Amino acid sequence: MSKLKTSHKVETLIWLTIVVVFFGYSFEFSQEIEIYKFGATGWPRVVLGLLLLVTLGNFLHLYKKGSEAQQGRVGITDQEEDISYDGIGSIKKLIAILAMPLIFAWSLKPVGFYSATPVFIVLIIVLLGEKRIKWVIGITLFIYFLLIFLFMVILNAPLPQGNISPFYDFSAFMLTLNTKLHQSLNF
Amino acid sequence: MIDNFIAGSNALFGDPFSIGIFIFGVIGGMLFGAIPGISMLTLAAILLPFTASLEPAQGVMLFAVIYCTGTYGGAITAILFNIPGAPENAPTAFDGYPMTRKGQSGKAVGAAVLCSAIGGVSSALIMMAATEPLANWAISNIGPPEIFALVFFGLAVASSVGGRTMWKGWMSVLLGLLIATIGQDPVGGINRYNFGFADLAAGIAFVPAIMGFFAVSEIFVQAEKKAIGMYEAPKMSLDFPTILELWTYKIAVIRSMLVGFFCGILPGIGATLAAFMGYGEAVRWSKNKESFGKGNLEGVISSETANNAATGAAMIPLLALGLPGGAMTALMVGVFQMHDLEPGPMVFYNSPELIWIVFAAMFYANLSILFIGLIETKTILYLLKIPFQFLAPMILLLASIGSYIGRGLVLDVIIMFGAGIMGFLLRRSGYSIPGIVLGIILGKIGEQNFAQGMQMVHYDVLEYLSRPICLLLIIAGFLTILTGIYKALSYSFRS
Repeated sequence: MSKLKTSHKVETLIWLTIVVVFFGYSFEFSQEIEIYKFGATGWPRVVLGLLLLVTLGNFLHLYKKGSEAQQGRVGITDQEEDISYDGIGSIKKLIAILAMPLIFAWSLKPVGFYSATPVFIVLIIVLLGEKRIKWVIGITLFIYFLLIFLFMVILNAPLPQGNISPFYDFSAFMLTLNTKLHQSLNF
Repeated sequence: MIDNFIAGSNALFGDPFSIGIFIFGVIGGMLFGAIPGISMLTLAAILLPFTASLEPAQGVMLFAVIYCTGTYGGAITAILFNIPGAPENAPTAFDGYPMTRKGQSGKAVGAAVLCSAIGGVSSALIMMAATEPLANWAISNIGPPEIFALVFFGLAVASSVGGRTMWKGWMSVLLGLLIATIGQDPVGGINRYNFGFADLAAGIAFVPAIMGFFAVSEIFVQAEKKAIGMYEAPKMSLDFPTILELWTYKIAVIRSMLVGFFCGILPGIGATLAAFMGYGEAVRWSKNKESFGKGNLEGVISSETANNAATGAAMIPLLALGLPGGAMTALMVGVFQMHDLEPGPMVFYNSPELIWIVFAAMFYANLSILFIGLIETKTILYLLKIPFQFLAPMILLLASIGSYIGRGLVLDVIIMFGAGIMGFLLRRSGYSIPGIVLGIILGKIGEQNFAQGMQMVHYDVLEYLSRPICLLLIIAGFLTILTGIYKALSYSFRS
């Protein structure tokens, strides 16, 4: 009897879409290489062919056994746990936690590391359930200055500065402070 | 050899500045390896420009020391947080993290310290004694066909561990191989799968992918548990294993040492494959296979002995042939080039003092793991006491900086978080994150060596298989795959 769930069908569909999209896109670079018979598309197409076969094998397993782990497999560190959401609130919270780092990464180019980081730290700490304001502010400042000290002052690592005002000006101010500090210490 | 070693030691410890660099490398490597979210590669990438102001021997020595201690440091985060510091520590997490969840973190970390030191010291000794003969053997016996065959066997082994089913193990590895095809193809330099992004022409960088799949996805997994009230803080323990307990694993240590050293000396392979194969062999020879992945100390021992045994061995193709065995040794090539030196056979004749300072430093760095590692470990175990809501932003930011620094591209930070979300979803469905990462790392190496091998044998498969090492590895790979398929199909059709 089939043990297929909708999530299994969606999972298989995603893999098949990946195979089709990547195979279709491979015609964009389907050029011959004079010194190599299989060209630039040979290797990726073999990988895609194998991926198609194992996706079908996986579908067979899902059909027969559902999400059940195969007996004798080793190194499965993520045992299937009963993850159940108690309401729309926790789902929204999870989506926010997943989206926040991506928004932070997108903001690095216009806003820069120096301005975006404190906001990011506050939001993540709050999303992860910390409600004590003093702790939120204290830990944010601690992490921010620790990172600035380690990567800007000690290691002089280049970090994104942003390209719109006033964030760019703030980054320039931080870098000027760092230069002055280095000069005064003969670093 | 002994005279050269003493001369190298004297040069290392006779100069206070060199001692300072050595200590910096030992502590820096351990810390950057052991802090979740960043790795020894982050430290190496930051330090690369500064090595221009050092003597060549000091620069190479610094990186070699960071390589040894950073490889060990990465085991700590793998065991305590399920975040391998480097890909070579991924199999360590298979059993190390379940041990932490059972309250046996001290035992796992203690075993990692000791086995990293044993693997590293033995590898350093063999490297000192046999670099030249081994390099000569490698030159005459190992070519692109053998390297491809080893990659094939390694991927077959990787697919057999980690995923919830054999199919998912293979899907993970193949996804990694597919990601590795993004960027220029290794033969003709033709752009593949850049989807209109110019920055993708250089491909997906290892560091953001590794950070995303390992560190960020683990943060998301824990954050999900926190969001639904299922989060359980890892348990701290300081119960280190006894010597008697470790003695029972002597065979596993010796076997992993040999596996690690063999993988290490092969150009382009390095410690990652060594760790997977060390772990895979431990499972293969064990009478208690079912206990692997659930907190078997032998899993930690095998993986850590093998990856550290590969560090010394990986220096052989680098120094003797000029071929890097992994990301860290590739950065070392950068150090050489900054001083107008080319690693290769001529280094032994032109700069023997450099070679022996590096050898001596690696030997002492591995010894330091044993002494400093045990002290440092007790401190690092207290990281488990930091509340998750404070540790998580720190790890995410360190990973962002680590990803950005390599190429100075914001795109790499976006890729890292994208990989994190992807890793989170794939883990929920039982896919193998280490399998994906190994696929990414070995994809380009595999394709390049397959192409070169095929050109060498004029596309004649029989000639390809007439090379004994190649044939042996290909047979071993196919046997692993066929056994896996048989087990998977017979399980699916069993009622």
